[in-house]
Order: sequence, then C-alpha cells, then structure tokens
Amino acid sequence: QAIDDDCNQTGQLLAAMLDWPQGTFASRVELEDGAVRVQREVDGGLETLRLRLPAVLTADLRLNEPRYATLPNIMVAKKKPLEVIPAADLGVSGASPRLKVLQVQEPPARAGGEKVESVEALVEKLRQSGRI
Amino acid sequence: AMAWRAAPRAAARLLLGRRGIASCIDPSTGLTEDQKEFQKVAFDFAAKEMAPYMAEWDEKEIFPVETMRKAAQLGFGGIYVKPDVGGSGLSRLDTSIIFEALSTGCTSTTAYMSIHNMCVWMIDTFGNEEQRRRFCPSLCSMEKFASYCLTEPGSGSDAASLLTSAQRKGDTYILNGSKAFISGGGDTDVYVVMCRTGGPGPKGISCLVLEKGMPGLSFGKKEKKVGWNSQPTRAVIFEDCVVPVGNRLGAEGQGFSIAMQGLNGGRINIASCSLGAAHASVLLAQEHLSVRKQFGEPLANNQYLQFRLAEMATRLLAARLMVRNAARALQDGREDAAVLCSMAKLFATDECFGICNQALQMHGGYGYLKDYAVQQFVRDIRVHQILEGTNEVMRMIVARNLLQG
Repeated sequence: QAIDDDCNQTGQLLAAMLDWPQGTFASRVELEDGAVRVQREVDGGLETLRLRLPAVLTADLRLNEPRYATLPNIMVAKKKPLEVIPAADLGVSGASPRLKVLQVQEPPARAGGEKVESVEALVEKLRQSGRI
Repeated sequence: AMAWRAAPRAAARLLLGRRGIASCIDPSTGLTEDQKEFQKVAFDFAAKEMAPYMAEWDEKEIFPVETMRKAAQLGFGGIYVKPDVGGSGLSRLDTSIIFEALSTGCTSTTAYMSIHNMCVWMIDTFGNEEQRRRFCPSLCSMEKFASYCLTEPGSGSDAASLLTSAQRKGDTYILNGSKAFISGGGDTDVYVVMCRTGGPGPKGISCLVLEKGMPGLSFGKKEKKVGWNSQPTRAVIFEDCVVPVGNRLGAEGQGFSIAMQGLNGGRINIASCSLGAAHASVLLAQEHLSVRKQFGEPLANNQYLQFRLAEMATRLLAARLMVRNAARALQDGREDAAVLCSMAKLFATDECFGICNQALQMHGGYGYLKDYAVQQFVRDIRVHQILEGTNEVMRMIVARNLLQG
C-alpha cells in the first residue's frame, strides 16, 4: 500500500500475473523447506499463512527495523551511478498510463452531530433517518 | 509520567518538536543535503539507541560499550579522522551537527564519544604512518577506546605547569606522575598523555600514547560525580611506566601544541553536546507547558512562561550559530579559529546550562525527579562549563586576543 496512491495492488497484481501465492502485510516471515510461513497484519488481528515457494510477499512496517545509513554510505550515495534504461529497451510496450484521472475531490465536510438524552431517543433517531 | 522514552516517531519529535511548532529552533536549517542526512541518522540513533537508556546508564553508572560500538559502525568513532585509517573524513561542522544530535539521546555518552574522537584525531594528525596504522583503525571502530590525559592534581587551568615526567632511557621513556579526572580512565585502552620530557613550561611537554597493560600504568578509584555517570572518571597513575619512544606523537616539545590543537576541536564538540541537551530540554519544556494545567489553563497560556520559552529558544539558536561559526573557522584553517572555538565554548556551555536549568524550573516539582529526563540534562552539561578549559580560561583566551592579539 504505497503512500502515494494507497492502492494496495502491486503485490497482488504481480502474484496474479505470475500465478504465485501471496502473503501481503507481512509482519513476520519464517523460511521453511520449500515454503514460507507468513504472519500477516489484518483488520481482525494476525493471520498466519503457509505459502509454497516461490511466493510474493509485501512488507508491513512491523516486519523489520530499517538499518541506519552509515556516514560513509551517505557520502557515496550521491556518487552512485544512476543507470537510465528507456522502457523500449526492455521490450515494454504501452508504457503510457492506462488509467485516466477523471476527478479528485475532498470528502464532504463533516457536519455537526447531535446529542440525544437517552438510548431510546437514539434508536428512534436512527430509525427515522433510515439507518436501521 | 512523561519520562524521556523513545516513541516510534521520537527522532522526528527530537528534530522538530510537534509538527509545525518549534521550527524556529529546527537544527537542520541552513544545512546541506548531506548534512541533513548525517543529522537524521544521528537523531534516529539517539532516539532509539540512547534515549531509552540514558537514565539507567546514569543511575547504574554503565559505560555503554556496545551502544558506542554500534555508533562506531555507523562512522561515529572517528568522525573527522581520515578514511584511510578507518575514519569518516567529515568536516568539523559535520561533526558538530552529529554530536549535537546524539547528545539529545544521552549527553554524557556523547561527550565521552567526542573525547574519544578527539584522541583519535590527534593520533591521525600528529602520528607518523606507523602510529596511525597501529592505533587509528581499532579506535575508529571502537574496538578500543581512548582517553585524553592532560590535567593533573596540581595543574588544571595552568595546564602547561604539568609535572608528569618522561625520562628518556635508551629507546624508551620512563613516566612518573599522575593525571586527574580522566574520562574513561581505567576502562579505556589507549591513553594520549601529555608529559614533561624537557624543561619547564609548554615547550618542555611531549605527547605519548600509552596502552592499558603497560607495566607501571595503574588507575585510581572511580570518582562519584554529579553527572557524566555513563563514563567512568579515574586518576591515571604512572610509576616507572615504560613507554617506547615509538609511541611519541610528533617531536619532543610539540606535546602542548598537540594538546591545544586537539582541544580546539574538543571545545566545539563539548559545546555541541551542550546544544543537544538544551535542544532536548526546550522540547521537554514545550511539551510540559502544553500539558500541565494550573489555574484552569495549560501553563502555555501564561505569558511569563511564553516569554521565558522564547528567550530559551533565542539563546539556543544564538549558541548554535556561535558553535557552527567556530566549526567552520576551524575546518577552514582560519587564524581566528582557536579564539572563536573558545568564544563558542564559553557562550554555548553557559547559555545551554541556563536553558536546561530553566526547563527544569518549568517542570516544577516534577523537574526535580529522576523519572524526568530534564534533570539529567542539567546535571550532565554542568561540567561542560568546567572541562576542556574552564569558561574562565576561555575568557582569558578571548581577552588575550583582544588586548594582545
């Protein structure tokens, strides 16, 4: 779930294209013989899957602590060569986006709520507005 | 309790306080991209590896060897030492920024690391090739630790009157005398010792590198201190201690100059440690003022306290600029570098102590409890006004520059 578009699709798409099993939001990964045991962060808590390898995993922030960059590495980072490969060289066609953004809008501003005096009044209000 | 524990975004908080607030004391302003990266690593390290333990290290007087070695792996063991012997080859300004950031995690430990760095630099700069290769790599990695030995029971501010004698005998020196208040003494491996090989005064002083285990080298009792408790302080005693001539840095008679040149950088480093403590204390005060309520309102609504906090921030920024200015002068080799380092050390250590002390006051009774970090910052930086040249000696240096320079 990338922080730019929040799509939560890339790993899953890749797994589908490769027809490999997937373990997304991995917070713990243990390799076994020919398989991997993945603990996933899901809404309801933690789910553990055992996937045959090869598999696609996506990492949750609880999976690891990133290493510290060392001072020497920070200094050489700028000098690392950045190889630019045109998409055509990789035989990738249709590099133009297939999605077109039609509209971006904020959610409606939150209107004020209402305090009620009793549970019965609450239930009545909910019924009146058709929510139950 | 609002103890100084690392939270997931502790490093960001250390850097900036709450989002959008306290940006006037943002320590990353005016820095290059690289410097911001170094600073970020140092703040991260301080928040995760040091801040959660600083109280325990202080209370139990633990010398955090493993944590410092982790820091050394990132390049913090020889920050301004040349890379060919394992140093990071960074500038004095880079160094100041790093120590300032690390100090927000534990001032005492960072101050020791700065002393260690100073010693490695002295060997790197004044040692011959053989000495550099023999000592620097294991010091840069902090496989071994170093101590700086100048002060004696009879000579503190009057450092050039030191008495420890080094008699030449064949291809060795025989050392007799003692050093006082040596940071790391007894626990460290390498000792950079200023001793008298010639006549009285500074020109009779040479610099020798000693190693723990040399016969005739022993240590006094571990001192009990108000702060700096994560580093042991002991007397270092020489009794017919035999040191090879090959352990002398530079020429005979050059020792005092080596010591003073080491201290120029050391003063910037100590001042930087004070900056870090003050920065952390301002953020602690800011947080406390926002949370604590009296007379029906958060303390932050009180104009006196607002003004006090503003003054603290202003003085912190002024001190920081003094220190960074001196660092630039030193790395550029400017003639006025030494006096600027003295001014910066004087100003920053005094101001920052005032800032930390004010921050403690703002915490009220809670500020006096060891559960709260602010008192440790106060205790730890109090000594910065005394060592590496007392602030009185700093005034002597500045006055001499004005009246005789």
